[in-house]
Amino acid sequence: MDFVERTLFRALIASALDAREPGCWRPAVDVYREVDGWLCKFDLAGVRGEDVDVQAIGRRLRVTGVRRDRTLQAGREPYSMEISYHTFERSVELPCDLQDCRVECSFDAGMLLVTIQETRP
Amino acid sequence: MSELASPLPVIALRRAVLFPRTLMPLSVGRTTSAHAVEAATATEHKTVIVAAQRDAEVEEPGLADLFPFATRAVVKRVERRGELLQIVLQGIDRVRLVELTQTAPHPVARVQPLPDPADTGAEVEALHRAVLDRARQIAGFWAPSTQALMLQVAGDAHDPLQQAYLIAGLVELPTDRAMALLAANTRAELLRLLHDALAHELEVLRLREQIASKAETGLSEEQRRYLLRQQLQVIREELGETESGAGGLDELRERVAKAELPPSVRSEVDRELERLQRVPMASPEHSLARSWLELVAALPWNKASSDAIDLTRARQVLDEDHSGLDEVKTRILEYLSVMKLNPAARAPILCFVGPPGVGKTSLGKSIARAIGRTFERLSLGGLHDEAELRGHRRTYIGAMPGRIVQAIRRAGVNNPLLMLDEVDKLGVGVHGDPSAALLEVLDPAQNSEFHDNYLDLPFDLSRVFFITTANTLDTVPRPLLDRMEVIRLSGYTDDEKLAIAKDHLLPRQLRESGLRDGQLEVPEVSLRLIARRYTREAGVRQLERVLASLCRKAASRVASGSADRVTAGEAELRELLGPERFFDEDLRQELPPGVAPGLAWTETGGTVLYVETVLLPDSTELLLTGQLGEVMRESARAALSWLRAHAVELGLETVVKKGVHVHVPAGATPKDGPSAGVAMATALASLFAGIPVRGDVAMTGEITLSGLVLPVGGIREKLLAAHRAGVRTVVLPSRNRQDVAEVPDNVRSGLQLVFAAHVADVFATALPELARRMRAAAGAVARGAGSQGPGHEAAAGMES
Repeated sequence: MDFVERTLFRALIASALDAREPGCWRPAVDVYREVDGWLCKFDLAGVRGEDVDVQAIGRRLRVTGVRRDRTLQAGREPYSMEISYHTFERSVELPCDLQDCRVECSFDAGMLLVTIQETRP
Repeated sequence: MSELASPLPVIALRRAVLFPRTLMPLSVGRTTSAHAVEAATATEHKTVIVAAQRDAEVEEPGLADLFPFATRAVVKRVERRGELLQIVLQGIDRVRLVELTQTAPHPVARVQPLPDPADTGAEVEALHRAVLDRARQIAGFWAPSTQALMLQVAGDAHDPLQQAYLIAGLVELPTDRAMALLAANTRAELLRLLHDALAHELEVLRLREQIASKAETGLSEEQRRYLLRQQLQVIREELGETESGAGGLDELRERVAKAELPPSVRSEVDRELERLQRVPMASPEHSLARSWLELVAALPWNKASSDAIDLTRARQVLDEDHSGLDEVKTRILEYLSVMKLNPAARAPILCFVGPPGVGKTSLGKSIARAIGRTFERLSLGGLHDEAELRGHRRTYIGAMPGRIVQAIRRAGVNNPLLMLDEVDKLGVGVHGDPSAALLEVLDPAQNSEFHDNYLDLPFDLSRVFFITTANTLDTVPRPLLDRMEVIRLSGYTDDEKLAIAKDHLLPRQLRESGLRDGQLEVPEVSLRLIARRYTREAGVRQLERVLASLCRKAASRVASGSADRVTAGEAELRELLGPERFFDEDLRQELPPGVAPGLAWTETGGTVLYVETVLLPDSTELLLTGQLGEVMRESARAALSWLRAHAVELGLETVVKKGVHVHVPAGATPKDGPSAGVAMATALASLFAGIPVRGDVAMTGEITLSGLVLPVGGIREKLLAAHRAGVRTVVLPSRNRQDVAEVPDNVRSGLQLVFAAHVADVFATALPELARRMRAAAGAVARGAGSQGPGHEAAAGMES
């Protein structure tokens, strides 16, 4: 590794430390408070619905899956690539037990919307 | 997991290993690798196999050239930089290479996925902690930025496996060690290998530091000096003191060339200049040599001011600057006359002796002005180190030339008038006796080759006009005194003080206080009163201070608008200056028997003092009090012994056996000297006879055991004091007759002077009653035994 690479490498290690799930990319997420629950919006542009898996474990909402490059074509060579492909994983911890909630998922223009409705007994 | 089954493009790395769960940036230049990246990016999942080459030199590695353990990775970023592809690889998991299915345009491999090591236990835990310790120790050798990163990694226990791989990546282990880590199937094995690798790395780092520090020690002192010098240079530039080495030297050379140097000095200077060039600027030698050269160049070797001695003008200048002092002026003019007639004659070395404030120093300035010489003065008061006068040898850091050479340098000519003040207050310290150095300076035979230790070259002082000043000659070493012409400046009389106040002091103080003409009027009678009642001194310093105070008081009134002009008449003085501080030595009008007025000389002029005696009926001893010195005590004993020896003649035989107490006030002032002998004899005689001494008589003189009156010093001051005190008759030793010529006429005419050769003459004037008895007794003795009594044949002269 030359000097530039080494420096870059170290910067990347720092960023890798931020990513909790090693070996994966980490989609961005917005969490909204609703009157009766929560809305989590995951940035999953270019990911097909069947490649996504949503799990609710205790208070943790875990979204995993894989982004495949779907714009492949013969003679099309990458000049510059910033979008991460392959597996991703993202967890959000919410202040309520998800076992008691109704969780619904939908896709809207590249965003995965997870609606969590607190159902009161 | 269908992707795993299918073969993946391979990127072969030289000298690097990509660990799972870590990122690695990579510049891809090799065509095969670039093709592999392109192939990967052309798939949906962008996955490649990253394998390390065994030999970095191989261009197109086959399966045998690659380590069997590799990492499956995702191409996260791609950036084209001309021929190069900048990519970022994200390691995912470990794989084992099974076979290469193709090698061109890029290698493709079939791989077998390997599970992540996942064992746990105490050993793993212990190894994990040991690894973290080692990692932190290694970080201690690193630069702060990388150090912080390593500490961050070591402090993050989220994923121990990732942590281990990250540490391995950060430390940049050799490829084979890194490969062994990648091959490890259990965490225990992985951590053990990592720990060993880190320990080895730590050892290497420690050794490297030792080697580096050893190599540096030799260098660091030099570097430090260099750095300091650089800083000094910057500071100099900042201060505008830059002197480029050559430029400064050139300037010095020029100055030396311009200086008129004697040939012997010139050769010495040339030698020193040459040496200076070789000495580095920053060395202390340099500045030493440089300041020496500057001194030599600045000294007036041949430069002299031309003497223009005009005796009329000299007299005029002296008169302008100083009132009175006629005798002194005359003697100075005599010396000037000699200098005018014979310029080659050695300049005289004068010594002005007198009480403080009589104008010794200012007289020196006047002389310099009168003959047109440069005036320089240096005070020798308290000087106790010979080196101060003669300089330190140049070998000492901070060496300086002596004061004499410095004064000559300041004067800029080699024939200034050099005033050496306070020569009587030279001290003697552990570093030699400065008066011994002065001997050389003041000896006309030696000072043509005066040797200053610093200068180290003979300098001719023979053309310097030396004047020394002293308050008293008693403490001036004899050999030194021997080289000087002593001129005494005694105290001023009231009339002289009046003239000085009127002509010099008052105008000066008026000027300084900002008063205009006529705003302060000080009549003559007030000046006389100020001189007498507000000051007691031989000189005029105190007088000037009081006048200054008077001027300030007047100025404050004028400035505050309460008065336009102030007249300090006799009546206003008390208001302006407060109560009178001194009274004329209060002449006691009615003296009891046993008290006699004597005259004493002090540094501040003469004074009247009383010798008091009383009988001690119960004892036979002689008590002496009043801080009397040894000489004075002895003269008291002599006086008493003489009286006892001549008791019969004096008709006192009944009382002289009794004890006597002699006291001389004021008790706190130490007194010494023989000149009170006459007064003591008179007081004792008065005591024994019970006859009071005449109130208007004062006396001075030494007494011998045979009753002779010997001459004493300070006649002028004593007579001035007597005159001031209102004494009408003064008894003096007859051999002091010639000293009376020094006394101003107005004083002499106001006093009746009696010259006594024998103590009987004193009694004749001071104790007329006793004298009569003596004559009667002497007559009786003469009639009876034919012997002669003392007294009536002694030459008792009178002068009015």
